[in-house]
Amino acid sequence: MSTENLVKHLPNDIGGLAGSHEPINLTEHPMLSWEKYCHALLDVLDYHKIVNTEEKRRGTENLGSEMIGKLTYYERWIVSASNCLLQKGILYPDEIANKTKEVAARYNITL
Amino acid sequence: MSSEHNHPHDDHAPIVCDEKPGYYEILEISIRELLIERGLLAASEIRDQIEILDSLSPVHGSKLVVRAWKDEAFKQRLLENGVTGALEMGITIYDDTDFTVLENTENIHHMVVCTLCSCYPRAVLGLPPDWYKNKQYRSRAVIEPRAVLAEFGTIIPDDIEIRVNDSTANLRYMVLPVRPKGTEDYTDEQLIGLVTRDTMIGVKVPTV
Repeated sequence: MSTENLVKHLPNDIGGLAGSHEPINLTEHPMLSWEKYCHALLDVLDYHKIVNTEEKRRGTENLGSEMIGKLTYYERWIVSASNCLLQKGILYPDEIANKTKEVAARYNITL
Repeated sequence: MSSEHNHPHDDHAPIVCDEKPGYYEILEISIRELLIERGLLAASEIRDQIEILDSLSPVHGSKLVVRAWKDEAFKQRLLENGVTGALEMGITIYDDTDFTVLENTENIHHMVVCTLCSCYPRAVLGLPPDWYKNKQYRSRAVIEPRAVLAEFGTIIPDDIEIRVNDSTANLRYMVLPVRPKGTEDYTDEQLIGLVTRDTMIGVKVPTV
């Protein structure tokens, strides 16, 4: 089987993807509260050029096709932005790990 | 306010806590709070942006379309430069992107997609619908637009050319649909009602 297509397309660059004839799902869900916060956060990151829109989009590509396929839209965004912030050395893995534990504890969740 | 609410009240935005957050929500809260603690952004900026998001609506785009239908000189200015055209109507393209308005004619039908992700003229149409961000629409619109349009109930006659416009992070499109015949006596409000979000993405056409 030819591997050419793997090279020609990034995983989330799917225009004209051969063999995709699945019908379009026209149901729409109202935006969840956390999704709105996520959207606002990423907009503000773009305004400050801390992580711009194109970096965030490339960050999504770097998640790979499995994560792109399984995560929801805003799940991809926040993971992409986190990875961009880590790569730029703006945030560090330890502090994200500690902070997520702290936030989870507020809700009596153990991560 | 529950007695368990005992974390220090610093500058972060209030957190709505109806049910336990999932992993990604916790991640978002964490990233936001870390950046605020670092002073890289302010909680007030997030709140302001949420207000902007809440104020977005496709009715801004509808108003542009209706004015363009009624005012030829405005239409020309809008087609020439979407950003300054929108500004004339008090609409700021807040995300600093190029905004291009595509005019449908008797011979050409435009539709808009973002094959890479979800680029969309949010300042005039609000946030994109789920289907716009999903892979089926994104992958298929550029190769079988007529089949895609048919799923929206839109049949474009074969003698009309379909142009599919692929958006980018820096360039956003909106379709200026053809004004339906028989609307000469319509009020602005009636016309605005015809120009739905989907007609400005180009997956539907306004009808009376």
